[in-house]
Amino acid sequence: MPDSMIHDETTEDILGSETTERFLTFMSDGLIFGVSTENVIEIITNYMIRPLPMVPDYIRGIINLRGQVLPVMDIRLRMNKPFREYTSTTCIIILEINSTLIGIVVDSVLQVQDIDIAGASPIPIENRQELTNAMISLDDGTVVLLLDCDAVLRI
Amino acid sequence: MDNMTDSLLETYLFETNSLLEQLDELLINAEKAGEFTSDDVNEIFRSMHTIKGSSAMLEFQPLMEVAHHIEDLFFFIRENGTSSLTEEQKSELFNLMFKSTDRLRADVEKVENNEPLSMNIDSFVNEINSFLNELRAKDSDDAAAAPSETAQTGSIAEPPQNLPDMDAPFIVHVFFEEDCGMENLRSFMLITALKDAGLEFSFIPEDVETNSDTSEIIAEQGFYLAFKSDKEAESAVKILNTTSNIRSYEVIERPCSSQKEEAPVKEQKVSSDEGTAAPAPAAKQPTAAGHAKQSLISVNLSKLDQLMAIVGEIVITESMVTASPELQNVKLDSFLKSARQLRKLTDDLQDIAMSLRMVSVSGVFQKMNRIVRDMKKTLNKDVRLTIVGEDTEVDKTIVDSIGDPIMHIVRNAMDHGIEEDVQDRIAAGKPPQGEIKLSARHTGSEVIITVEDDGQGMDTDAILAKAARNGILVKPEEEYSRKEILSLLMLPGFSTNQEVTEYSGRGVGLDVVKKNVEAIGGTVTITSEKGQGSCTTLKIPLTLAIVDGMEISIGKNVFTIPIANIRQSFKAEQKDIILDAAGHEMIKCMDEFFPIVRIHNLFNMTEGYSDIEDGILIWVEASDKSYCMFVDQLLGEQQVVVKPLPSYLNNFNIKHSGISGCTILGDGNISIILDVASVYTAAQEMF
Repeated sequence: MPDSMIHDETTEDILGSETTERFLTFMSDGLIFGVSTENVIEIITNYMIRPLPMVPDYIRGIINLRGQVLPVMDIRLRMNKPFREYTSTTCIIILEINSTLIGIVVDSVLQVQDIDIAGASPIPIENRQELTNAMISLDDGTVVLLLDCDAVLRI
Repeated sequence: MDNMTDSLLETYLFETNSLLEQLDELLINAEKAGEFTSDDVNEIFRSMHTIKGSSAMLEFQPLMEVAHHIEDLFFFIRENGTSSLTEEQKSELFNLMFKSTDRLRADVEKVENNEPLSMNIDSFVNEINSFLNELRAKDSDDAAAAPSETAQTGSIAEPPQNLPDMDAPFIVHVFFEEDCGMENLRSFMLITALKDAGLEFSFIPEDVETNSDTSEIIAEQGFYLAFKSDKEAESAVKILNTTSNIRSYEVIERPCSSQKEEAPVKEQKVSSDEGTAAPAPAAKQPTAAGHAKQSLISVNLSKLDQLMAIVGEIVITESMVTASPELQNVKLDSFLKSARQLRKLTDDLQDIAMSLRMVSVSGVFQKMNRIVRDMKKTLNKDVRLTIVGEDTEVDKTIVDSIGDPIMHIVRNAMDHGIEEDVQDRIAAGKPPQGEIKLSARHTGSEVIITVEDDGQGMDTDAILAKAARNGILVKPEEEYSRKEILSLLMLPGFSTNQEVTEYSGRGVGLDVVKKNVEAIGGTVTITSEKGQGSCTTLKIPLTLAIVDGMEISIGKNVFTIPIANIRQSFKAEQKDIILDAAGHEMIKCMDEFFPIVRIHNLFNMTEGYSDIEDGILIWVEASDKSYCMFVDQLLGEQQVVVKPLPSYLNNFNIKHSGISGCTILGDGNISIILDVASVYTAAQEMF
């Protein structure tokens, strides 16, 4: 993919620790999620989404990304959260999961940061969040839920 | 490394498949003529050699073995000619060859599907070998009688399987490539090259330098070089390997030159020059086959698809640029001029890109030759297949998907169409030989393929009776028209033949044909006159990638309906609408009632008109379904590039909801393409 907004300019730096990975963090319904930059193709805003009939409501429709037609999923609705009108901070993150391209709608995108996944712990069963497989608390005290990309594609 | 093997495998599959296809065609033609010409024999020999070599390289043992034994067989035939064969042996040879190509093809298919190859080839190899032995046995009988003759004549015109009278223990027998011409000069050049290398030898024919007639003799029987020692022969072989235009050579070792009646120990070798490794001779092979092949290259289909996608993008972007709203109401003479030129160029580009994907249907049609041939034997019917318009070109994806439907129809025609008994034909005043005519032709945006037979035709009463038995009639029997009865044949559940023949009637019938053809946007119709024969017509769009569409809107959403499906569009008034017993809306046009499908209801859309007088009705038709769609507005006609929906969406069964794909409009927005037939099915399921 060309003109990806996330360039691994500091790839060398993160090789220090074997368990360190780069994550893109984003907000959805007040929670911070992290998705591995390996899966992220690009971030787009202000796209015209063409709604599709006869699909679950979390499939918002399809978009035309420079000639490629991609499905777009609202991550809030996918996790059974209430729908929020799209604003100027709303972004679509284009993910490539097992060579399938899909866009996910998130409330806002935060940053790209290196996270040592050795510190990840499973999520307590009573607080289970759909589509996530681990949580991590960072040095500054924020808690990041790691997105389970395979689960995103599961029906 | 894996990539390397993959591309090797791809090349191998392509090469082997095309060789087998050529072989099939050659065999059919040869069988018609009842004889293998020497060109045919050489061609088969070469093909088998190539298959053997490349199979061995990729370690497909069974393929290699089978090809090897056929090669042996044809080596023998090449040396001895087919004229000595009896009629039975010839037909046995043809059958054996057809069986072998089938066998090879099945194996290649397995390779293609990544299935393990069956190692159990002994019985098959034995079959080939026993046939070869039979030929050999016969030949040695002949040969026993032959030597006395050859001894008398003692000339160079002796049969090639006997070695010429050369007083040397090592003989190298060289064959030049066919049609390379001037064999005598080539031999002379070879002699010079060998002499330059300091070798001592004698050769036959001896007068190559001066006598140009020798060229024919060499072409037929090869050129013999005789060496005193094996070392000299070896170094000569090295030189031969580097010489061009040499098809094959063999080194023949004679323990004692005086015992020439004894079968010589042959060490057969074929120059590495020919076959797998070197691309040049391989490229030459198709020309030798006598096909009118031009300079072709093979391109991966996915690359063509990419090209098509980009060209589609360019066409869309071009209209985005030229119709840009910022440019409206601005007078730009030179811009408009260049824009017009750009449009012309993009149109040309699109035409060329489309034509790249077009291939002729001859491949599919030629396969039918084989089917007719096989069925002719098993069913014992005398039928000839006439092919018309095999050069007609259609999109590659369509060619791939019409093979099976056509095969099915041809089989039906062979099995049920043509009369069982020749006497019946003669009694009906028809020639004893049945005819199946397979033709293809273009009409504008469609290609029409017909399969006609001059057989007994279809018995409408019998069809109706059978349909009634199977319970697929939807109205009283006497109300069925002839056309309707024939279309019953294509309903699922009609062909539930109890009697399963090898070729047709295995419970899947014309409904499958119809489904396959409809999947590529085509239609099937059957016409038949009792006693005169039947005709099945397939109408197929030339390409799937670009469709003439009508843009319609419902609320803010744009949909595209293929123009081919639209019969009429009109405004309706509330009083025209009639409700049926179940409360479904219907409307009368042209004295017939058609159901109305409201798209915004079907798709649960919040927008869109609900008053029938605000919107517009479009009367659409797809194969046997005819109904009216209710939409907000017609936006206009446009050629659109069809794009498939993302495969992820297939999880939601979207194909069955009436959506066949999408397309990108000039303004970058997406329009959804409706599939007229499945919209109706989806609507019926909903209500």
